[in-house]
Amino acid sequence: MSVAELDQGRSSTLLPRLYAGVAILVFWEVVVRGFAPPYVATPIGILLAVPHVIVDRAFLLGGAITLAAVAEGLVIALIFGTVLGLVIGQSKLADRALRQYINACYTLPMVVVLPLVSLWFGYTGAARLATIVFAALFSITVNVADGARSVPQEYLEVARSFRSRPWRALFEIVLPAATPYFLAGLRLAAGRALIGAVVAEFFTAIPGLGYFILYNSRTFHHNEAFVAVLLLAVFGVGFDVLVNEATRRYLPWYRRDEIPV
Amino acid sequence: MNRWRDVAARFAPPILSFIAGVVLWEFVGRHTNAAFLVPLSETVDRLWELSQSGELWDQLASSLAIFVVGFVLAVIVGAPLGMLLARVAVLRRALDVYITIAYATPLVALIPFILSLMGFGFAPKVLVVFLFAVFPVLYNTVEGARSLKPELVEVAHSFRSSEWALWREVMVPYTLPFTMTGVRQAIGRALVGMIAAEFFLSSTGLGQLIMSASQNFDTAGVLAAILVIMVLGLVLMRIGRAIELHFARWRV
Repeated sequence: MSVAELDQGRSSTLLPRLYAGVAILVFWEVVVRGFAPPYVATPIGILLAVPHVIVDRAFLLGGAITLAAVAEGLVIALIFGTVLGLVIGQSKLADRALRQYINACYTLPMVVVLPLVSLWFGYTGAARLATIVFAALFSITVNVADGARSVPQEYLEVARSFRSRPWRALFEIVLPAATPYFLAGLRLAAGRALIGAVVAEFFTAIPGLGYFILYNSRTFHHNEAFVAVLLLAVFGVGFDVLVNEATRRYLPWYRRDEIPV
Repeated sequence: MNRWRDVAARFAPPILSFIAGVVLWEFVGRHTNAAFLVPLSETVDRLWELSQSGELWDQLASSLAIFVVGFVLAVIVGAPLGMLLARVAVLRRALDVYITIAYATPLVALIPFILSLMGFGFAPKVLVVFLFAVFPVLYNTVEGARSLKPELVEVAHSFRSSEWALWREVMVPYTLPFTMTGVRQAIGRALVGMIAAEFFLSSTGLGQLIMSASQNFDTAGVLAAILVIMVLGLVLMRIGRAIELHFARWRV
């Protein structure tokens, strides 16, 4: 795409987007006003709810708790997932021995573990953390393993010829090569972790953004509940943007389309 | 000789580790509180009971009905809409950002709204599965159709191809492999949607199997149901990957 095309693309994108956004909102407002019960969320109702929701203690606290739990779970999943992924990616034996378990856990819908973790950890924050870790762990493992496998064998052979120590090969060849895959896994994992946190709060009814949504929608405060959904969307999209930006800035050699998602 | 060693190196680790897993489960299960974990043998017994009484098959059928209807609707809506968006540039530019947002938003958060709007029936559950599955299909179709080389369309136009022929000969064959990647992703998501709907809307199907077992502190029942869902997930994933690979051969 030429520069002129890009310029033209930018200005001709903004207006259609704006129109479409307005059209969606108007459609939503009209349909709900016309056909739905009065407690159902509408764009105007949500907008009017924003000022008092964002100073609501339950909302702020819930958002902070959920975000902190997601962050904590992601860090745990990152550490274990990366180690596990490197082992599997580097050792054929480990790959063959463990792949069936990892595939099984990866394809298992994470909601399914809720009754089990609540049985094990009670209806507590620990159950939520366990759900988040379970949700995030395997997408990181699978992607890091793919990354470690994608290291060109010649690089490792050259390193060996020059009698490089194994840990130097790990840090200077394997990890950099696996980084783009790792980031792709992280993006997936963050989305799954957020979903894990919300479903865990639905299930265990412990304070957090998910519970805020559940409580308010049950008491017919749909507008208030929807503000929390918007915050979740901001978290979700925000993390995507963050990772994409980081990839573009720090890994400029990496092109997204080279990696199967 | 060497061939045998290759075969052994390939199949021994997974088989041995599978056996180790079975033994470990049995051992840990026998030496822990039954509320925490029960041995594999007990879980399999329970699974056998559930299968004999027919409960397992009834619930599986009820779950699959939700899954299939929601999933098929998602493909029927997602794929044509995605191609339309790709063909009509204005529409795509107008809507792609909203599709991305919907794709990145945790849609589970909408379940409480769906519950209080639509209640407990079959339709709200299908809607949940549909919502979970439609965006991967839509997103991948748009991304795929977008990478359609303009030359292909130009050549078609040069030969005075009609719009219908353009779709039939260029758009659909080119985009379908990408759509199928979305279909593969959607299978996994739809499965999550199915269980989430059965947990949080009203208990039916495999979700109910788990829920009622866990309420009765029937750990064996919970594990048995999880095993079934795990196998279901693996089978569906295998199917999804086969579909994707089949169409991947078309990729140019």
